[in-house]
Amino acid sequence: MKSLIYLLLGAILIISCKKDLAPISGCTDNIAINYNPNAITEDQSCNYFSTTPYVIETPYGFPDMKIPSDNPMTVEGIALGEKLFKDPILSADNTQACINCHQQNFSFSDPNQFSTGIDNIQGNRNASALINLGWNTSFNWDGSSLTLEEQAFEPVTNSIEMHNTWMNVEQELNSHIDYPFLFKQAFNINYIDSNHIVKAIAQFERTLISTNSKLDRYLNNEEQLTISELNGYAIFNTEKGDCFHCHSTNMFMDNLFHNNGLDIEPFIDIGRAKVTSNPLDNGKFKTPTLRNVEMTAPYMHDGRFATLEEVVEHYDSGGKYSTTVDPLMKKLGVGLQLSNQEKKDLVAYLKTLTDNEFIGSD
Amino acid sequence: MKKTLLLISAIAFLFTSCDKDKAIVTDITINFNHTVNGSELMTNSMIYTNEAGENYDIQTLKYLISDITLHSENGSSLLLDEVHFIDISDESTFNLTYNEVPNNNYTSISFDMGLDTAKNISNKYVNDDFHTTMFWPEPNGGGYHYIKLEGAYNNDSTFYNTHTGGTMGADYSFNHVENISLTVDNDLGDVSVNINMEINNWYNSPNQIEFSSYGMGIMMNMMMQMNIQMNGITDVFSVTVDK
Repeated sequence: MKSLIYLLLGAILIISCKKDLAPISGCTDNIAINYNPNAITEDQSCNYFSTTPYVIETPYGFPDMKIPSDNPMTVEGIALGEKLFKDPILSADNTQACINCHQQNFSFSDPNQFSTGIDNIQGNRNASALINLGWNTSFNWDGSSLTLEEQAFEPVTNSIEMHNTWMNVEQELNSHIDYPFLFKQAFNINYIDSNHIVKAIAQFERTLISTNSKLDRYLNNEEQLTISELNGYAIFNTEKGDCFHCHSTNMFMDNLFHNNGLDIEPFIDIGRAKVTSNPLDNGKFKTPTLRNVEMTAPYMHDGRFATLEEVVEHYDSGGKYSTTVDPLMKKLGVGLQLSNQEKKDLVAYLKTLTDNEFIGSD
Repeated sequence: MKKTLLLISAIAFLFTSCDKDKAIVTDITINFNHTVNGSELMTNSMIYTNEAGENYDIQTLKYLISDITLHSENGSSLLLDEVHFIDISDESTFNLTYNEVPNNNYTSISFDMGLDTAKNISNKYVNDDFHTTMFWPEPNGGGYHYIKLEGAYNNDSTFYNTHTGGTMGADYSFNHVENISLTVDNDLGDVSVNINMEINNWYNSPNQIEFSSYGMGIMMNMMMQMNIQMNGITDVFSVTVDK
């Protein structure tokens, strides 16, 4: 009998304790819109910013874009990324944004041979055009970054580019009048960190897609090419010009690294070998897409050629021998032996890859 | 008495179920091997000589093998893979595995070198790894390269590109059939099938091929495509089975 009473008492105690522990219930998740800092018990009432998924349509002759599973494309993320891309807040002295060296009217590239950073120091490689990046399997001329997110980390802290620190960028963005809300909207986060900054920039970069050139319209039976452009098309796509082996498919690139016979050894810039430490990669650089090539002068990893005519002259010469020169440069020492008209035709064809809508002049 | 009976039947049941689990499944791994004059391929070394007397090295070897199929004595066939891409610079492409091969008496294996007309269509394999590197442009007939075999010959600065494909729309892929003796049953276990490419034989017989006659390239040279195809059919591929 006594033990029964004790049991009862104990039960009452436990129940009353429970009651005392839960005076306020509400949303306890601090990234929710209706977060209640006084709430102790979670009542499943949390509401979050809902993001709007953004779907990338696969252009004809392109593979599906591979988007990292931890950074899905959203309308909010892309808009935030574009704002960051154009905002000099990322540089140490707030004078340079990404877009300063990746200018839209030059297909998001730099018309200068080398870009100049905030401390007035120049680099030694030409700033790449940002176009159809989501289909690349590595980034930079030597492929040193494997994702756009990883790549975006680099210029911000590079001492000859934006020369900033991530701690400083995070501080400035977190105390900014707009950014905390925009990051909350895009990623449901309260504190802005570098990981989410590069995620937003990468999302924006994945939307820089160009597939509306004269050539695309020709292949779609919407527009005719001139005789000269058609001749160039044939030279490009046969072993006469032999451009297509590297600038392949509708993407006009192969995601691979080649030594195209620019220099004899020793190389001033060893290119891909910097990343792989493999001497067989000496002097190899990543094939750039030729889409919008008319707008992306100067050419090659070091911007040595000012015009497309100079580029065509280089390949027509057959190139220079080095131990790692690509066997695809099979006219080494002989040259392509194109006539002046054929060279003009090739350049005319390359200019059919210009997408005026993409560069914002349409 | 009843209890013992129950126990015995329970134990018996246990044993039978164990027996069932013992049926061994057979996974087949296809290995792609590459030799030059019978020795394992060494890339980037000027140590080979073709029948025409040209010294050469091999820097690039990429090719497509399609419709890899096992045929059984009762006439049924088993497709192991539709298209497989092999790249000498990527070891992960040197084999493929087909899991749980059904029991049967398999008497031959066949495959195509390259892609036949039904498959050799531009952008058909747009999401496959080989799409960009094996692409064959429309003005040449479209589709994909069957093989890219490249390197230097005679001296380090003259290059050959043995590129075959559906030149100007003609189909130069070819089928290789090899008789094998492979009985898959509950006891066999895993099996390896080795497909060997003897690279030098692309150039030797019945057509002796000189790199110096490649000129500006062979992608539009139908005579050369045919000669290489004939050499390929003759003695480039061989198959062995390891049980």
